[in-house]
Amino acid sequence: MKIPVFRTALVATASFLPISLLLLIIFLAVYSWPAIQYNQFHFLWTNDWNLGNLYGNPVSVNGHQIMPGAKYGIWFLVVGTIASSVLAMLIAMPIAIGAAYFLSEGIRKTWSGPLSLFVDLLAAIPSVVYGLWGYALLVPLFGHTIFPFLAKTFSFIPFLNGEAGSGYGLLTSAFVLAVMIIPLISATLRESIQMTEPALKEAGLSLGLNRLEVFWHIVLPKLRTVLIGVGILALGRALGETMAVLMVSGNALNYLPNNIYAPISTMAAFIASQLDSALQDPTNMAVEALSEIALVLLLITVVVNIAARMMLWMAKVR
Amino acid sequence: MSELQNTKIAVRHLDFYYGSNKSLKDINLEMPEKQVTAFIGPSGCGKSTLLRVFNRMYSLYPGQRATGEVLLDGENILSPSMDVNMLRAKIGMVFQKPTPFPMSIYDNIAFGIKLYEKLRKVEMDERVEEALRQAALWDEVKDKLKTSGLGLSGGQQQRLCIARAVAVKPEVILLDEPTSALDPIATLKIEELVSELRNQFTILIVTHNMQQAARVSDYTAFMYIGEMVEFGQTNQLFTNPAKKQTEDYITGRYG
Repeated sequence: MKIPVFRTALVATASFLPISLLLLIIFLAVYSWPAIQYNQFHFLWTNDWNLGNLYGNPVSVNGHQIMPGAKYGIWFLVVGTIASSVLAMLIAMPIAIGAAYFLSEGIRKTWSGPLSLFVDLLAAIPSVVYGLWGYALLVPLFGHTIFPFLAKTFSFIPFLNGEAGSGYGLLTSAFVLAVMIIPLISATLRESIQMTEPALKEAGLSLGLNRLEVFWHIVLPKLRTVLIGVGILALGRALGETMAVLMVSGNALNYLPNNIYAPISTMAAFIASQLDSALQDPTNMAVEALSEIALVLLLITVVVNIAARMMLWMAKVR
Repeated sequence: MSELQNTKIAVRHLDFYYGSNKSLKDINLEMPEKQVTAFIGPSGCGKSTLLRVFNRMYSLYPGQRATGEVLLDGENILSPSMDVNMLRAKIGMVFQKPTPFPMSIYDNIAFGIKLYEKLRKVEMDERVEEALRQAALWDEVKDKLKTSGLGLSGGQQQRLCIARAVAVKPEVILLDEPTSALDPIATLKIEELVSELRNQFTILIVTHNMQQAARVSDYTAFMYIGEMVEFGQTNQLFTNPAKKQTEDYITGRYG
């Protein structure tokens, strides 16, 4: 019998990605299963992460071996992760759209080429470089000057008033994340703007609109699917960003931010920063709990993606 | 041209350049008000370029420039002091490919009106209906005004674009090969529409199709490699052309 080599190879390569995602989820679920059983739903809704007394003797609680006093609750991480990513998107979207408009329509072609290349390069910078920049430049600047000013100026707006903090925290993290995802959004959007038919833009102009109105009312709505698509990618990157956030977030523990200047921690950064301590736990429950965080993070990104797909689908139907 | 008709647009010694390349050479022309003027000629003769001078669309692109005079009701639209947005309020345009905006059928029409007039909902509804009726599209879309304009067929989309152009009550409508992307039946509908609109607007139509020019226009301009070869009443030009080049073209000897 003839074996359809080409077809088999195609099926194998095509199924590689979905199978690895599935295996990853299964592995995380199996590996963190003792932690899932031990923590139950408290894991998500409580603000209490405590590895216990790592120098004591393991005790048995509900049939699970743990270190004395160990508790795992990550609500502050869920809040920190989602707040920093959403805030980053709020900062990044208008700037990225403005930059894309400027690069594609605002300046002459001779300049837009090199400048666009520059923006594309920004997207390729390793995140640790952004983190270091945030740590060395933004944290002191924000902590000493900008946050106190903002807190004073907007003292009447909830979440923008109160303690200005040290410069490490939610807004600093969101700002660094925004700087990281702006090039990503703006590069994709710029290409789509350039590919929009000239006749559509001219149709708007011929009606008496100016170029900005054409962009805002015609080109941008035409590109809403692109905008949603690249928005998902950017949000995914922000949710999962580890190093840059770790360096500027303030690594809050068991603490819910009461304003946008307060220190936070995100799931990804927390896994990285806690792994060393968790490995000291002889019962391995701490590492299993960290892997449960990873599972939650993975599920959040999956949910975000599904929600975004639905938005895309609705945008297309309209 | 008879003395009874007012000149709507007069072109005097118009030259046009793409960079250093001169693509319109000393064009002189007077187009009468509320008549259909067709521009014919082989590809690259400059007929679309000329059309795009009338609403200054070319000024969007660096390197393109026009010299000479184009007078709309006696006012030179090439003058730097001309308010381009106000000019375009008076001169509507429809393109080769339909260009519906990414919004509902209703909003496609209302959007342009809102730029110039502040209307109450009821008045706006009337204006949208009026425009869609003028474009012979009302009966086909009246039950789905809230659905996207992108869901219509090509011919319907083009009539939507015509409705959008007439909705803002312009004085002149420019049609740049409006049927070149359409099937024969949709083309016929557009041509009927042009005939119906001729008494309300001054219409300038660029077309590849000589029969179309003969069917819809009152006046025809024949252009060849950037020059205005002959301009006159359509039946005159097609039955008894004054120039040899015109005769060669309309009898299909080249083109």
